[in-house]
Amino acid sequence: MSAIAAPLPTVPRESFLTQGYTIGSWLGTRDHKRIAILYAISITLFFFLGGTAAAIIRLELMTPQGDVVSADTYNKLFTLHGVVMVWFFLIPSIPATLGNFLVPLMIGAKEVAFPKLNLLSWYIYVLGGIFTVAMLIAGGVDTGWTFYTPFSTMFSNTHVVLAAMGVFIVGFSSILTGLNFIVTIHRMRAPGMTWFRLPLFVWALYATSLILVLATPVLAMTLTLMVIERVLHVGIFDPALGGDPLLFQHLFWFYSHPAVYIMVLPAMGVVSELITCFARKRIFGYRFMCYAILGIAAFGFLVWGHHMFVSGQSVYAGMVFSMLSMLVAVPSAIKVFNWTATLYKGSIVFTAPMLYALGFVGLFTIGGMTGIYLATLAVDVHLTDTYFVIAHFHYIMVGGSVMAYLGGIHYWWPKVTGRRYSEAWGRVAALIIFFGFNLTFFPQYLLGYLGMPRRYHEYPPDLQVLNVLSSAGASILAVGYVLPLLYLGWSLFKGAPAGPNPWNARGLEWATDSPPPQENFREVPTVTQEPYAYDPEHPER
Amino acid sequence: MNSPPPIRVYLFTWLALIGLLAATFTLAHFRLGAFNTAVGLAIAAAKVALVGLFFMHLRRATALIAIFAVATLFWLSILFGLSGTDYATRRITTAPWTTPDGH
Amino acid sequence: MNARVVPVDVPWRRETASLGMWVFLATEVMFFGVLFLAYMHARIVDPQGFAAASRLTHEWLGTINTGVLLTSSLTMALAVRNGWAGHRRLVIRLLWATAVLGLAFIVIKGIEYGLEWRDGLVPVLNFTYSGAHRRAVETFFFLYFLMTGVHAIHLTIGVILVAWLAIRDRDPARPVRRRESAECIGLYWHFVDSIWIVLYPLIYLVDLYR
Repeated sequence: MSAIAAPLPTVPRESFLTQGYTIGSWLGTRDHKRIAILYAISITLFFFLGGTAAAIIRLELMTPQGDVVSADTYNKLFTLHGVVMVWFFLIPSIPATLGNFLVPLMIGAKEVAFPKLNLLSWYIYVLGGIFTVAMLIAGGVDTGWTFYTPFSTMFSNTHVVLAAMGVFIVGFSSILTGLNFIVTIHRMRAPGMTWFRLPLFVWALYATSLILVLATPVLAMTLTLMVIERVLHVGIFDPALGGDPLLFQHLFWFYSHPAVYIMVLPAMGVVSELITCFARKRIFGYRFMCYAILGIAAFGFLVWGHHMFVSGQSVYAGMVFSMLSMLVAVPSAIKVFNWTATLYKGSIVFTAPMLYALGFVGLFTIGGMTGIYLATLAVDVHLTDTYFVIAHFHYIMVGGSVMAYLGGIHYWWPKVTGRRYSEAWGRVAALIIFFGFNLTFFPQYLLGYLGMPRRYHEYPPDLQVLNVLSSAGASILAVGYVLPLLYLGWSLFKGAPAGPNPWNARGLEWATDSPPPQENFREVPTVTQEPYAYDPEHPER
Repeated sequence: MNSPPPIRVYLFTWLALIGLLAATFTLAHFRLGAFNTAVGLAIAAAKVALVGLFFMHLRRATALIAIFAVATLFWLSILFGLSGTDYATRRITTAPWTTPDGH
Repeated sequence: MNARVVPVDVPWRRETASLGMWVFLATEVMFFGVLFLAYMHARIVDPQGFAAASRLTHEWLGTINTGVLLTSSLTMALAVRNGWAGHRRLVIRLLWATAVLGLAFIVIKGIEYGLEWRDGLVPVLNFTYSGAHRRAVETFFFLYFLMTGVHAIHLTIGVILVAWLAIRDRDPARPVRRRESAECIGLYWHFVDSIWIVLYPLIYLVDLYR
């Protein structure tokens, strides 16, 4: 922190937050910053809805018998958890909140390319959410978030069509967000902001947007076909009609595997911003990081069959997908090595965002390595559909993406609100979350290895200890997630004014007021510096 | 922007498209075995290329747009290609008690 | 007002709008691509069945319709081209020609659908085919109606957009703002045409020679 006596920062009198206080000024806004906040509120609501489902699941799994809910209700719970967390929380989380707020700021633009489309994308998200809540109130759906045929098309007695419609609709919200970012990043960079001067967060969102745009339409049409087959009983997934249930799985996973990179790439972008700022050091291997980001996005499209090793697909296809899945780990590993190299000989400060970033690096590495086990054909035969898979993807999605999201929220909170939050509480929450997370999900690796299947509401009694540990961890995790709501909310009213650059960070978003004015910059900046121009020898600069 | 292309470019493109349509329709009436499908799709690809290059101005477009157009087709080919590794290499062994697959 | 005056930042707006439309078209390609994969799979399962089904389609109507759509692409491309050159009245006529040709396509398609209903080839609603390869024929016609139906919906949206453009720019006294809208709608129109170009041999020309 600077020791020079400087005037205390104040919250600027005019900012994007003061341009209109009515509901109408928010619901009809074209300002990407306000749209980001609209999204943030919506996804937080859905996060707690999905989290409630998870809480009931973990409650059920405290005992080996299925005694809290019936098997059918349990099916509906894990389906709700998956549908809500994937499509209504994780996929929009960083892109639609942090991305919408920061991308124009980081590239030195006043707006996104298509502001009205941006607002439309939020309304579409809300409409999809309404369908999903309607599905929930109507009684839920029990197919799992993966909607596999023939159960979804022929045998399930639940509200599959409503659920599919909700997901179909919210998919278009993602597509519009991705389209907007691609055009914005290509066409609206400030003078001097060349591609290789962009922050890695922007690179990450660009790659994410490519995936959003290419993969989501496939999901939309696949769900359409599933609904048609369910309603009209003419289709292409039913062997009795000459169809193939695996065709559904190929089409579904063609989207859903790249979808997990939609969920993790923006998180990686956030982590690059946090680590450079709080190690006071430029990123190691900037260009390799850029190529790795693009590589992850591209390779992510080639590996979907690893979700289908035991489905009945050809074993030769399985081999091809297994080999390709090994390849996709390479760019991710490059990123982990480069973050580590960035930390080396940096001047590290353990702020709350930094704790989240460090947590990401460790937990993503564990999650990623267990992905390699699962990508190994023969091992996957044993581990598939067990808790090992669940632990693997939760390490990446929760230990990775959610932690990065929270780290980003904390890091840019002063920029968005103009206020500082309590660092002490921030660190406490981060540590509680880290501890609770590991206690929840590490036992699940062991459970999976021991053979406990996923999506079952009961299990053999000798697995109870690990399940109780996991549920205990979940309750701690829940406390950790509620804490930020409290102290961040408190800071809105009582937080100290942040000033333009409370972290002394690099990046165009820190070159303007906190909160920024509606047009982002009073004068359009010209960029001459490379990104992350930190000096670890002089961390105070 | 540079000046618009001469009108004859569009007219010749249209003539070529109609010509290809006539060709594909005529050729479909001849027994060419596996080549029927190949020729039909090749002519369709040629027509799409003409529409793309001349009507959609890909010939004069920036590299960025051209890359997007090509990349999209490439991505679609990933969907077909990698699912193809499954469909091309399956060995279906029917269980002994199933009835023969009737048409 | 001189309709030939082009504002300064138009090239940037044109490039940006074009890029946005091309990205959108990429999503549409992937959207339709799923149906083409489903078609490919079903055809591989029973190629004879698909051939039998294709012979039941009305290839003359389909071919005429393809010609109609290709011509509508010509008129649309000329409208966009002349729009940049500033010939207002010609552009409006070309736009209406495009819309009319699009409607003609839909009418011919409707006639075809009517014939297919008469022949009892509409799955779920009126399917009475009882010849060989019944299941494949039903799957073929299911995909036929789905793919041409989704295409027709896209085409209808296109017709509405083209008509909107013709109406928006009809007053010669008011200058054309946002000329790039025409270019974007043109790209969309050509895309819809391209989808049909690929659909045409897959539906009408399978083993036609028999």
